[in-house]
Amino acid sequence: MGSTVFVGFQRILVAFDASPHAEHALDVALSMAGDMKSKLFVIAVIRPPEPAESAEFHAVLEDMRERYESCFLPVRERARQKEIELKTDIVVGHPAEQIIHYADTIQASLIVMGKRSHTILHRWVLGSNSERVLKYAHCPVMIVH
Amino acid sequence: MMNTWALSALWVGLALLATLLAIWFRVSTALSEIVVGTVAQLIIGVVLGTGGLLGNTQWITYLAGTGAIVLTFLAGAELDPVIFKTKWRESLTIGLAGFFGPFLGCTAIAHFLLHWPIMPSWLCGVALSTTSVAVVYAVMLELGFNVTEYGKAILAACFINDLGTVIALGLIFSPFTFRTAVFVVVSVAVFAVLPFVTPWFFRKYGGRVSELEAKYILFLLFALGGLAVWSGSEAVLPAYIIGMVLAGTVGKDHSLIRRLRTLTFGLLTPFYFIRAGSFVSIPALAAAPITVIVLFMAKMITKSAAVFPAVRAHRYDGSAGTYYTLMMSTGLTFGTISALFGLNHQIITQAQYSYLVAAVIGSAVIPTMVANTFFLPRHLLPHPPATRLSEQAAQQTPAAEEV
Repeated sequence: MGSTVFVGFQRILVAFDASPHAEHALDVALSMAGDMKSKLFVIAVIRPPEPAESAEFHAVLEDMRERYESCFLPVRERARQKEIELKTDIVVGHPAEQIIHYADTIQASLIVMGKRSHTILHRWVLGSNSERVLKYAHCPVMIVH
Repeated sequence: MMNTWALSALWVGLALLATLLAIWFRVSTALSEIVVGTVAQLIIGVVLGTGGLLGNTQWITYLAGTGAIVLTFLAGAELDPVIFKTKWRESLTIGLAGFFGPFLGCTAIAHFLLHWPIMPSWLCGVALSTTSVAVVYAVMLELGFNVTEYGKAILAACFINDLGTVIALGLIFSPFTFRTAVFVVVSVAVFAVLPFVTPWFFRKYGGRVSELEAKYILFLLFALGGLAVWSGSEAVLPAYIIGMVLAGTVGKDHSLIRRLRTLTFGLLTPFYFIRAGSFVSIPALAAAPITVIVLFMAKMITKSAAVFPAVRAHRYDGSAGTYYTLMMSTGLTFGTISALFGLNHQIITQAQYSYLVAAVIGSAVIPTMVANTFFLPRHLLPHPPATRLSEQAAQQTPAAEEV
């Protein structure tokens, strides 16, 4: 009976929302990717307000795209310094669903995301994205506190 | 009687509260403002025993009306004219089906089932015929359909659907006199020259701190809006068409659109949506909840019954077609604009207005609420056609920036 040799996480996906928790998760992922020579994917998910209303929806999309693009600039610089292959992307939709879908598409070997502390009301009404990703993801998930 | 500044503080305070609620619960600001307006009117009315929020004060009516006009213009300006040129046949068929199905169906249901008089029934048909371009576009972005021919045709169909709504709203209750003819002729002439005159005018005089572009747009909206009301029509009709005809020019000027959005969201639409909410009667809703359910179901069923065959007629995928049909069943802004028009012109009663707004909100909220409550990871399902289309779309999407 053959044994599988763990060669490290080759394709690491970081879910980024520009929060301090996500920044921390990104630091961890950058460090891991540098050590394991992994390819790093960083995605930001824009979640439109529901129900989407025309002018507000487009305003949210434009603002968030600009914000995330500006956040990605220093990330690219840090990846370049560490000689890490990096791909950044911005997607739209439900965060947990988009993260899992993206991980499937790129065949991620690890998902790294920050843990945000929510109130009981927030968790009851909107749920926790990290819990949903943990529940449905097809690959290992690292939640960074 | 509150003085102007105290009343302003009350309304802007409510707008601030609505925005905070929208942020906390991740709902659209418009929805939050309508709900806050309804609840605030009830509470203030009970506590103070006065006219509540005093939503019929002249300056509030003016700000709210301007908000509806500019919001409608912005909605029209989001049209992509290229899509229309390439997919006009499909878009026209699906869009007209999406309008006429619920328009005629809901009118019939209001008249024959709910026994509303004929004019309120027509108004009901108009208010429930709307769709939401933004909701459909949001779903397309989520699934990657926005880059497909199918997605583009559906998106253009939504504009046709809403155009049908504003034309019906603008003309069906119009008295059709000599003034109506003047309004139509002048409007058509202005719409024809605007795409040529506007870019030239902006190139020659625009780009200054004096905000000439914003004043020009507002002048057009007010002038044609004034003409529309003079003729017995509705000011949002020319506003939507001005937005559409300028979509290829002004609509591409992101800086100008952003400045208009700041004006709209920061000052105008809070007054519009809070005012729309303040006229909703909770006692009327509590007294006849079945009416709301009937209207909600009427909208969903008639929209689906009309749009689905039109989508299938163009050989689009069945599952994805069902999904878009459901998404086209939403529409908050034009639904409330139509209902408020009916109330302001005494076509419908406050109770009928309340039922319509509740049905419109329900059609906008319930589908997404169900989706969120019963979180469904669609990509994990066993190869639904929608997912396969999404994957095809994803392959067509330009690659993200790589370092």
